[in-house]
Amino acid sequence: MPEILLQDVRFAYPGGVEVYPEPGLSLSMGEGVTALVGENGAGKTTLTKLMIGLLRPRSGVVEVGGLDVGTVTVAAMAQTVGYSFQNPDDQLFERTVKAEVAFGPRVLKKRSEEIERGVAWALRACGLEGKEDVHPHDLGLSERKWVAIASALAGEPRVMVLDEPTLGQDYPSRQRLARLVEQLGLEGRTVLVVTHDMDFVGEACPTTVVLSHGTVMYAGPTSGAFEDRSMVKEAGLEPPHVTALGRSLGLAESVNEAGFLDAWKVQRS
Amino acid sequence: MSELALVFDGVSYAYEEAPREAVSDISLSISSGEWIGVTGPTNAGKSTLCLLAMGLAPHFFGGRLKGSVLAFGRDSRTVPVIERSSEVGLLFQNPFTQISGARERVDDEVAFGPECHGLSRPEVDMRVEEAMRQVGITHLASRHPLDLSGGQLQRLALAALLAMQPKLLLLDEPTSQLDPAGTAAIFEVLAGLHARGVTIVMVEHRLETLCELCPRIVAMVAGRVLADGPPDDVFNHAAVQDRVGLPVFTRLARDADLPGPWPVRLADSTAAFESPIA
Repeated sequence: MPEILLQDVRFAYPGGVEVYPEPGLSLSMGEGVTALVGENGAGKTTLTKLMIGLLRPRSGVVEVGGLDVGTVTVAAMAQTVGYSFQNPDDQLFERTVKAEVAFGPRVLKKRSEEIERGVAWALRACGLEGKEDVHPHDLGLSERKWVAIASALAGEPRVMVLDEPTLGQDYPSRQRLARLVEQLGLEGRTVLVVTHDMDFVGEACPTTVVLSHGTVMYAGPTSGAFEDRSMVKEAGLEPPHVTALGRSLGLAESVNEAGFLDAWKVQRS
Repeated sequence: MSELALVFDGVSYAYEEAPREAVSDISLSISSGEWIGVTGPTNAGKSTLCLLAMGLAPHFFGGRLKGSVLAFGRDSRTVPVIERSSEVGLLFQNPFTQISGARERVDDEVAFGPECHGLSRPEVDMRVEEAMRQVGITHLASRHPLDLSGGQLQRLALAALLAMQPKLLLLDEPTSQLDPAGTAAIFEVLAGLHARGVTIVMVEHRLETLCELCPRIVAMVAGRVLADGPPDDVFNHAAVQDRVGLPVFTRLARDADLPGPWPVRLADSTAAFESPIA
């Protein structure tokens, strides 16, 4: 059974046009790490807000972690789904990093030992140890993004949705993030990464969904996501840098650095 | 000799009540018409460098400033930010920070700066139309700024900046929320401005982008300048490789054991991997 299931979902903002055209958006995702990519305005962030119950579809079905989003409360969804906003300042309001990260599980009335465990795990996973007592707004954008991610992790949800997690991140932070999402995937969680960062997609996300003008253009292994060049162009995407380099050398298609080096070694031999 | 757009002379700065300096002993000279990329890990002092160049530090943020920051020959201590904003424009890392909050339409938001400077109505209208066209948001003119997506808001913030027609643009990750097509379109706008003599200082984590666009890179670590020069030199500098990171092409050449100096751009990388000694 898929962890995330959307069937014929229709939605429009007040006074706005339909985000997902007739017959509506249908999509299913299983465990592991999936990238959701597409041009600005493709409907990516709307999709994530539908998944956590912040928005309600006009019609169709949204199920996440076995829950019908249309029939359960946002609080119930929060038990299952952790969400990190594109702009961390939309999410952070507590006076210390620790209080911020503990807020979700505390509101969910988890037991204190569960809260302590989840918060400690999230702080460690996000490189925030030693910053527990800092005011989140005294941190730079990169670290505020990490606080937002840690807040989403602390409730140890089955499903994680990370909106533009590499925003403002330097290379070591991107590597930390890649390791974190890989680990979450290996633990059997479902991680959806909404991003414009195709290098990160190639390195960290085994599965990719391409959305364009509210329609799913591709859903499958990331290794095949950039092969259809006209679709990629239509969706306003560029392939990862390694893919571009591999093509210029006539190598077999690769989407990450290890794949490129393997293909290059094969060509040389 | 070309005019100096921006000079940092022995600059150290600490935010109010901060125990440590955010930048230390920075000396940089940027000529008019240059396009400079600034990069470095988190907390390197990149955004602070922009705030100092704009004069927001120390005028808005307070704090302790040593040394001098001159934009077009004028010391930031003596020039109010409102006056500096007719020559220098800063695009914040987070576009939500840039929006005035006082305007309910996108076109009015773009007009806000020129209006504050007392420009005539026809001049304001002309600038607003041109700036919105340049960044591709004409169709959003009647929308409320806070109803826009992150990418649209980033374009709006840039349009508001361009409407001021600054001679020096300070851009803190100007395309971080844009899709690849939108990013390419914005860089085309910047290339056009650069061709017309506008000086650009651009903070960016995407090293591949910097190497393609900027003839000069300043790499910062822990508030200090670690390297300053052409991208090929900067990213073949051992300390930069260790402390800042590498463009993907450079990293691949290193991991493939290609002989140095390693390439930093796609075209050079293709040649390096095709080389018979590769």
